Amino acid sequence: MASVSTSCLRFQPLLWQSNNTCQAAQRTSLKLVSVSWAKSGFPSLRATRFRVSCAANPLTMQKVCDIVRKQLVLSPETQLTPETKFSELGADSLDTVEIVMGLEEEFDINVEEESSQNITTVKDAADLIDKLVQKKAEAGA
Amino acid sequence: MERGVQRWIVDISKWEPSPHDFSFALSLLPQHEHSSVIRFVKMEDRKRALVSRLLQYALVHQVLGIPYDEIVIKRKLEGKPYLECAKGYSKFPNFNFNVSHHGDFVAIASEPVCIVGLDIVCCVKPQKETVPEFIHNFASYFSRLEWDNIINSGTSDEILVEFYRYWCLKEAYVKAIGSGLVNGLDRVEFHHTNWTNIFVKIDGKPMKEWRFWLFELQKQHWVSVARGHPKAAAGSYKTTMSQLEFDEEEYHKGLGLPNVTFVAQTLEQLILVSHDADEMVE
Repeated sequence: MASVSTSCLRFQPLLWQSNNTCQAAQRTSLKLVSVSWAKSGFPSLRATRFRVSCAANPLTMQKVCDIVRKQLVLSPETQLTPETKFSELGADSLDTVEIVMGLEEEFDINVEEESSQNITTVKDAADLIDKLVQKKAEAGA
Repeated sequence: MERGVQRWIVDISKWEPSPHDFSFALSLLPQHEHSSVIRFVKMEDRKRALVSRLLQYALVHQVLGIPYDEIVIKRKLEGKPYLECAKGYSKFPNFNFNVSHHGDFVAIASEPVCIVGLDIVCCVKPQKETVPEFIHNFASYFSRLEWDNIINSGTSDEILVEFYRYWCLKEAYVKAIGSGLVNGLDRVEFHHTNWTNIFVKIDGKPMKEWRFWLFELQKQHWVSVARGHPKAAAGSYKTTMSQLEFDEEEYHKGLGLPNVTFVAQTLEQLILVSHDADEMVE
């Protein structure tokens, strides 16, 4: 059970990307929040699979974008949103590895190979970083 | 059977389409493919995406004779394109193909029996770091032997080329099995004699059901081709194979088919094929 800090709890509705017509690997993840409010008496919703999604730390996002921009040599006008996929920016397998390495260096974290394969968007990267940074802080590093 | 083995390549640096030309070329593809081309931010990436799809449809049409607008190409979860409607048209057990692009080139390879993977690399010099710094990012993807070979290649330039050659082969392998970048690529170890007779050992075991080739193209590009047993196909890509079991003789016929040299195509030729002309130059 993940412990959730109430200051950043955000409910994510089920998101189906209707503008996605291409068959390429799309991760549509089921985001149901498991919550129990002791005081208000709301029933606790249990899902077999859940992920608590906090709004990503804006500073983390900014740093991720900077690293991505540098690695992929993006023009300043190129817009980056949390949902922007690295592949859409022209990242190949070498770029993806370097981006992850750059993030590891910048945030002083270690990303497992399996996790790095799941990083496809700017937000994926920022979320993972926040998670790892927090884990590190909790471990009293 | 040989007809199922195709190797085509396009030099896109020679194609400078106006917006109108680009839209026209895009319109030759089925509607559902359009967004997957347009989603790329940089024009160079859109060009590569468009050409890679044109190659797929042109090749299927040319080799299997399926009417252009009846061709259905899909991707499974891991992303490798495959042909859905082959039954009835395909005389080959497992007609499959793979595309790759990097730098100035886009290429496609197809096989009738074995799964095929293809990768092009352009030996780009790292801009903001030294060669050793650059390659060090990727150290965990190489075995001890490969890594030693790379770093002992000689000058910075030679080290870089050696790195790219190994990387290119690993990518071809990964793409043949259709799995996306795998964990444990350091256990997939390539052996060669001056970059011929290339074979792979996985966890120390030589994989006799695979063949690999590496060719140098112009302008410091390299292309690798991997051919392997359909049983090795990964995850959901495996479900696209029609035949997984072969007796040894049958399989070795497929494995031993000539690996033809790459045939250069131009955009104009691809466009002609999509219009059902018989003018594709072999």
